Amino acid sequence: MSADPLLRHEDSEEATPRQRFLLEDTGFDEVPPKYRRFYRKWKGPGDTLAPNEVVCPVCKVVIRSTRELRPGDRVYCMPCMSRLVVVRAEDGGFEARVAY
Amino acid sequence: MERAIRDEAVDVHALEPEAFLEEVHSFEFWFHSVQGYLAGQTFGHRPDVQGAPLAPHERERLVTVLCNYCVGETAALEGASGLVSIAPNRLTKVFLATQVADEGRHLEVLLHRLGELGVPSPETEIERRASRSLLHFKRRLLELVQSRDWEAAIFAQNVILEAMEFTVFQSHARTADLVTREVLQGIVKDERRHIGFGENELGRRLQASPHIRARIGEVKKELDHWVLESFEETLREIGVPNEERPELGRNYLEVVARLGFA
Repeated sequence: MSADPLLRHEDSEEATPRQRFLLEDTGFDEVPPKYRRFYRKWKGPGDTLAPNEVVCPVCKVVIRSTRELRPGDRVYCMPCMSRLVVVRAEDGGFEARVAY
Repeated sequence: MERAIRDEAVDVHALEPEAFLEEVHSFEFWFHSVQGYLAGQTFGHRPDVQGAPLAPHERERLVTVLCNYCVGETAALEGASGLVSIAPNRLTKVFLATQVADEGRHLEVLLHRLGELGVPSPETEIERRASRSLLHFKRRLLELVQSRDWEAAIFAQNVILEAMEFTVFQSHARTADLVTREVLQGIVKDERRHIGFGENELGRRLQASPHIRARIGEVKKELDHWVLESFEETLREIGVPNEERPELGRNYLEVVARLGFA
């Protein structure tokens, strides 16, 4: 059985335990209440992303996870219904790519 | 069928892809989403919000812009409702039913806003002020729907038209009077679902059937001109400076690039 490529992680990074995050409601109101804590508004170029956050390239909402994100992680953007995979960006940070 | 998601503490990112798609295409998801930002509003804005009086030339430009938004929303309403019958499966049919409701609401709140601005007969005014390029785009979109060309129609409506509206409405909301701003911000929240549906549905189709790429490329080539012309006209009317327009057009270019049409 082959592993889901979206769930495969870089070995060296996976050896380090991930930070965990307690997500709180940020007032994002575009998804049903039980999912709201997983999203927040992107505040523009000055906005700093936490290690558990990535911007959706389709609709520019910030996607949040309960754990530190790493390349290969799968995340979902519910506001625009997109499945995404976290990749390392050219600047060394993380970005999300759409996985159709 | 028992719904896959019940737990209030569910980790959305741990969902299986099928469960995620089932959830976000559902009427249940749509209902609880729009309730979050439309509850308590009247015709798309808080009832106690008042717009500052507009100077005659500002009002004139706003009326023209809103009339053309109505043309776009009518195209999307007629397009989405026609697409329900050719949608390939239950999830896409149900999602499009929610989009029809969204588009109907958009048209209604924009017509109401025209009424608030003192336009006595909005429908007549729309006919008088409608952009030629936008009308042409609408006609071609509806032809694609009538020809039952699912991929081309989804591309025209949920990728091209929705991407343009998403960008223009966001930009306009930043400078609009308070009432118009709230109306547009509510519409933008709906548009996120529509653009995402279009890009993801088409992306999946292109992956499964690469041979359709050439046909979609032809549709893009044909419609790009009309869309960009209409985009330019609207940005000019809402007063976006020339130097900011390429930046706004980038959103559309990014979408088509992700789909492999750069």
